Amino acid sequence: MDLKYSDEQILLREQIQKFCISDYDFYDREKHVHSDLGYDQNKWKLFADQGWLAMPFSEEVGGFNFGAIELCIMFEEFGKHLVLEPYLSNIVLSGFILDQSSYSMKSNYISGLISGNSQISLAYVEESRTYDHLSILTSVENNKLNGTKNLVLNGSNADNFLVTVMIDDEFSLIVMRNDEDGLSINNFKTVDDKNISQLSFDNVTINSDQIIAKGDEAKRLLQDALYYAALCISAEAIGCMTACYEKTVEYTKGREQFGQPISNFQVLQHRMVDMFIDTELCKSLLFKAMLDMHENNNSKYRSISALKHHVGVLGKKIAEESVQLHGGMGVSEEMSIGHYLKKFIVIDSQFGNSKYHLTQFKNIDERSK
Amino acid sequence: MELSFTSKDLEFRDEVRDFLANEYPSHIKEKLEKGDMLSKQDLIDWHKSVSNKGWMGYNWPKEYGGTGWSPAQIYIFQNELGLAGCPPFIPFGVSMVGPVIYSFGNEEQKQRFLPDILNFNTWWCQGYSEPGSGSDLASLKTKAELVNENGKEYYIVNGAKTWTTLAQHADWIFCLVRTDSSGKKQEGISFLLIDMKTPGIEVKPIITIDGDHEVNSVFFSDVKVPVENLIGEEGKGWTYAKFLLAHERFGIASVGASKRQLLRLKEIVNDLDDESLTDKVSQLEIDVMALEFTELRLLSELEGGGNPGAESSILKIKGTEIQQRLTQLFVEAAGEFAVPYGGPEGFMSNVKPNGPEYTNEVLSKYLNMRKVTIYGGSNEIQKNIISKYVLGV
Repeated sequence: MDLKYSDEQILLREQIQKFCISDYDFYDREKHVHSDLGYDQNKWKLFADQGWLAMPFSEEVGGFNFGAIELCIMFEEFGKHLVLEPYLSNIVLSGFILDQSSYSMKSNYISGLISGNSQISLAYVEESRTYDHLSILTSVENNKLNGTKNLVLNGSNADNFLVTVMIDDEFSLIVMRNDEDGLSINNFKTVDDKNISQLSFDNVTINSDQIIAKGDEAKRLLQDALYYAALCISAEAIGCMTACYEKTVEYTKGREQFGQPISNFQVLQHRMVDMFIDTELCKSLLFKAMLDMHENNNSKYRSISALKHHVGVLGKKIAEESVQLHGGMGVSEEMSIGHYLKKFIVIDSQFGNSKYHLTQFKNIDERSK
Repeated sequence: MELSFTSKDLEFRDEVRDFLANEYPSHIKEKLEKGDMLSKQDLIDWHKSVSNKGWMGYNWPKEYGGTGWSPAQIYIFQNELGLAGCPPFIPFGVSMVGPVIYSFGNEEQKQRFLPDILNFNTWWCQGYSEPGSGSDLASLKTKAELVNENGKEYYIVNGAKTWTTLAQHADWIFCLVRTDSSGKKQEGISFLLIDMKTPGIEVKPIITIDGDHEVNSVFFSDVKVPVENLIGEEGKGWTYAKFLLAHERFGIASVGASKRQLLRLKEIVNDLDDESLTDKVSQLEIDVMALEFTELRLLSELEGGGNPGAESSILKIKGTEIQQRLTQLFVEAAGEFAVPYGGPEGFMSNVKPNGPEYTNEVLSKYLNMRKVTIYGGSNEIQKNIISKYVLGV
């Protein structure tokens, strides 16, 4: 039993922390939020130069073979500063699927991701709001793809898409360029200022060399990638929670009313202590989940569901409390605190909300222990 | 990082399991399984079985007769006992006054008291709270005045202690007493050991809302205590008391015991077809998992030679909240059959009320467990501690 980070892991955290503190000023971030890209191109280059984009890939495709622990360290630090760069969509979702697949052309795509020169988004959500992403309507018949995909993360910046489709009644994953005839893309912003897209396929021609995986392999790849993403954004949530209680403590120490800092009032102190404790409890669940993932234990899905449920419930609670304790400033767009609340709304709804993961936790139950 | 314990630690765990399977007194196991109350003798038998194994000093250093176990071993030992449903140790000797004596007592006191604690020959109780001093413990008023009688020095103790757990069984009491009222209130407190048979001590039961006699008032009128029973220096009692609070870290969360309760709750709830209740049970199960890993994080820090700070307050707050929520959910599971109540002893007549068998037991636990968020530094006090030492406000 050892729940201490290694020296290398501590160094990685310090490296990311240094970047976030020196290069991730909230007001500078605001400029990029409202750009078309939605993030800072220079920072994405820096991510590539630092080797961060290569981190989780296996060595044979040019990666460092880092696992869940390192990714969670990175996302926790990203969460503290509301980092915008599209790491989740490119590296975690698309990167994981490609890396784990037996697709013969995967290394071309992966080297593009690692260099930061190309971007790939995963298109897997359709109409249903039940998080059952294996029952889909999008299908390829006679080499023609028809259907619609929603909520495609970072879709407006992607050169390529990984798309879940039915081929001959088999669940499959294919890859396609963003400029295929018959593909139309509508772009939107999310509540936390990210780009998402809706893809419509109208008789898009699909060749067999675009098929990444079929049947059980495709299902497993999608499911594993979504759990991986759930783990990463849970780590991100914990970074956000940490920032929320720290910023709130700081604010209440500086804000004077009735002739004294409002942090003197016990009723506020205990609420901030609750925020701190809830963050620590989620951190403890993160240790369990990321280690189960790292060690590839049978209990990994159950642990991730436990974690995702708790960050969903407690993250929103902490952010709402933070807004309340900031008073009127809490609801102003110019303060960062309200942006964390918006982030938590996204975190809870993505990759299974708290209710979904509670059901998963209950249903998986003892079987996987 | 690694989730599993080392093979050496796992061997140790098997040794503890062996002990629980073969040497844990079966009459106690049977009584607890039936939900019966344990007598004083049962509790003594339980502690003696651990003493005989040489494990009573599970958290003591070797030089005082303890096991000298590593933090991981202490953790595993306590966890296994909880999982097996063993009665919690009476903490006043082994976890409270014992460590104070071997840390601050003189050689004569160590010789005199420590072996009897490890062998459970003396039953200790704790004289801290007073009718006017609960969370504000340092305001305590029980007075100890030094007098000289025929060349021999005594403290004359007058005052009252309250909420004294199992004082009706106790041979000795360790007390915080006021030896000086002139300066800062913390500085006039001393740590005194008092024989319960000394004339002038009166123990009166306090019956709690579950109907049980667990706690007492203890009155002192002109109780004559030899000066040799003072631990350390006069006026340093507050320092020793604070040391004592920081000594026990793992026990407070009761993770092992809560996991056992949770399994039983799940068995009951699984038969009820009540989705909102199973949701609550699952949420609680995740909370228990979070608490378990909070404790394991603390363990990792201790094993690495670190000196963690506020974690024990988190463990106290969350551990006790979980203990209470468990009892609430048992009551919820009983539905309207939660109403008949036979007190801590259960229904004595042969005719028992209809309804699930577990209802009497769950009610007495529910009522009894209200204490856990109040004692040992109430959860509000724990939040004050975190606020001051972690958040810095």
